[in-house]
Amino acid sequence: MSQFWLRVTLILYSIGLAHALLTVFIRRAKLFRVALGAISLAAVFHLVSIVEQAAATRRFPITDFHHSVSFLAFSITCAFLIAYARYRFQALSVFVFPLVFMLTLSAAVSSGARLEDPLLRSGWIWLHVLLLLAGYAMLFVTFAAGIMYILQERELKSKKPRAFHYRLPPLEQLDDLAHKTLAAGFPLMTLGIISGALWAAAEWGSRWPLDPKIALSFVTWLIYLGLIFSRWTAGWRGRKAAYFAIAGFLATVATWGANSGLHSFK
Amino acid sequence: MRSKVASDLRTSDLGPVDLEMNFGLVGLSHKSAPVEIRERLAIPEAALPQALEALRRHDGIREGLILSTCNRVEVFARGRPGGNPADSLVSFLAGYHRLPAGELKPHLYQYAQRDAIRHVFRVTASLDSMVVGEPQILGQVKNAYAAARAAGTACGLLEEVLMRAFSVAKKVRSETGIAQSAVSISYAAVELARKIFGSLEGKHMLLVGAGKMSELAARHLLRSGAASLMIVNRSLERAEELAEAFGGQAVPFERLFDSLAHADIVITSTGAPHFILKKEDGPRILARRRNRPMFFIDIAVPRDVDPELNKIDNIFLYDIDDLQQVVEANLAERRHEAQRGEQIIEREVDRFLARARTLEVVPTIVSLQERLEEVRRGEIERLRARLGDLSAEQEQAIEALTRGIVNKILHEPITHLKSAAQEPDSRKAIDLIRRIFNLK
Repeated sequence: MSQFWLRVTLILYSIGLAHALLTVFIRRAKLFRVALGAISLAAVFHLVSIVEQAAATRRFPITDFHHSVSFLAFSITCAFLIAYARYRFQALSVFVFPLVFMLTLSAAVSSGARLEDPLLRSGWIWLHVLLLLAGYAMLFVTFAAGIMYILQERELKSKKPRAFHYRLPPLEQLDDLAHKTLAAGFPLMTLGIISGALWAAAEWGSRWPLDPKIALSFVTWLIYLGLIFSRWTAGWRGRKAAYFAIAGFLATVATWGANSGLHSFK
Repeated sequence: MRSKVASDLRTSDLGPVDLEMNFGLVGLSHKSAPVEIRERLAIPEAALPQALEALRRHDGIREGLILSTCNRVEVFARGRPGGNPADSLVSFLAGYHRLPAGELKPHLYQYAQRDAIRHVFRVTASLDSMVVGEPQILGQVKNAYAAARAAGTACGLLEEVLMRAFSVAKKVRSETGIAQSAVSISYAAVELARKIFGSLEGKHMLLVGAGKMSELAARHLLRSGAASLMIVNRSLERAEELAEAFGGQAVPFERLFDSLAHADIVITSTGAPHFILKKEDGPRILARRRNRPMFFIDIAVPRDVDPELNKIDNIFLYDIDDLQQVVEANLAERRHEAQRGEQIIEREVDRFLARARTLEVVPTIVSLQERLEEVRRGEIERLRARLGDLSAEQEQAIEALTRGIVNKILHEPITHLKSAAQEPDSRKAIDLIRRIFNLK
């Protein structure tokens, strides 16, 4: 049943995808209202799907790759809806909708056979994954805001407004969005890492293994820490902050993709 | 179908015969005539009622509307059957202004029927304006329409054209971007400020030096929500004067750098022969305001602000040429959008014509139906006595029988009329059917 709801969700997300493609290729954002409604509805069905899965397995469905991808898509949708409610940036949808669609697609079509590491069933490790995925969702919005900032800044500096200029949000609000999502995403990520470390310490004591994912996550964490620190102390903002946010997100993607050693889904 | 067409008819408040489509338009605009001619042919608002009255009395004119603005004079009319209203309109304009028609003609454009309707749609939608998408024209056409209505010269199909023109104008405006971006320098400055800061609320402005253009820009920015205005001038006296006029605050020239650190938007227009702000000033100012972005608008010639400043992060510097360039880009964007507007207009003209042509055959259909109904009743009445007593059921059967025959006979000519309505020579079909059935 959970899989059924996920497919309904996917169909609704595809309307969002259509909107994004139309906006990029035909430069018309006619479908936005429809797409926004579809995405909001999709978020509800997505939640239903997650809850049903949780009820069926009596566990938070986040501990295998398939379900974690689905949950990540759900988190990004929620992050988008929150950001949209506050800032009304239509342009953000162009980044969010295709990604959410692709993630949900991969979650919806993957085979039923889900191999799970028994390790992941134990205790509160789901909290570790949940915090990190929610953090990723926020930091994705930071990343998208950073890209839009750089595009809009280039338009304004060049003094020759082209199509982008008219469709992208104002700089200071983009910077604000990037800052707020970073301020939400970074603590989530930090707590996620700490919870993982505590769990590992409880499991293996002081001799828990270092794998590529752990190493990369530290690099990512340091990039974001640097960004937050320089924002607070040196008043970094705008273009530099946007480049940093993009670098941080690329590191995040690398971290997420590095599934070997301790973090492999066997 | 019948009831729909009949209700259409009622909305136009017309006698049923008066639906002949015979539109013509004569006019001149900034595209066809120099201002010397336009001002000579302009009809001031006060003279409009008399002019409309004269137009109504003019030969061959049934309905009419006069639009006179500083960029155009247009006379749009529906003529009597057979005549060419455009020709009548030329003679009307010449007569009204007591000018020889030959002198006027080179400056005039003339349109008939479809082209006339298209022109009205285009003008109302601001696609024919000097600045494409400017909003005033819609109001001007509405005023012209109100005047024509008051004078009783817009009461039929012409009125329908205008109602449609208003809704088409709205459609073009909302579905295309013809009215989206700023096309004057001071509005371009406001719009750029919005693209940098989002809302201007709580933003502080600094005016360095004074001048007409910078004051205009400052006024627009204040009206758009900017929170405060500081004014720096070599002459403190002049600064205080301006501060009073704008509700701002005068600052002595020595404290320029302090006020720069507080200002989000800086407009400079001093007469200084050299840069008053150099590139190395940029980081110093930004450091004092934690890198919050700044927007410099340099209206002075020679320039007040070193153009290198634009290369610094979080500083956006536009001089007068840059603003002009933005205006050009916006105009190009509007022209691009206007092409989509033209497509909408073309579709709407088609739709309007199809509907108007159907309307044109309605009177014939109605009188045809009435004619046969009359025959049917007459025959029943004539023969009723000979049939003797009939039961209610038999009465009903007779009604049904005769009605059935009438409807069967009517079906073909009505279908033919409706399809003929969409052909160019619909008049022929109408006349033929009128003659065959001996309709008045």
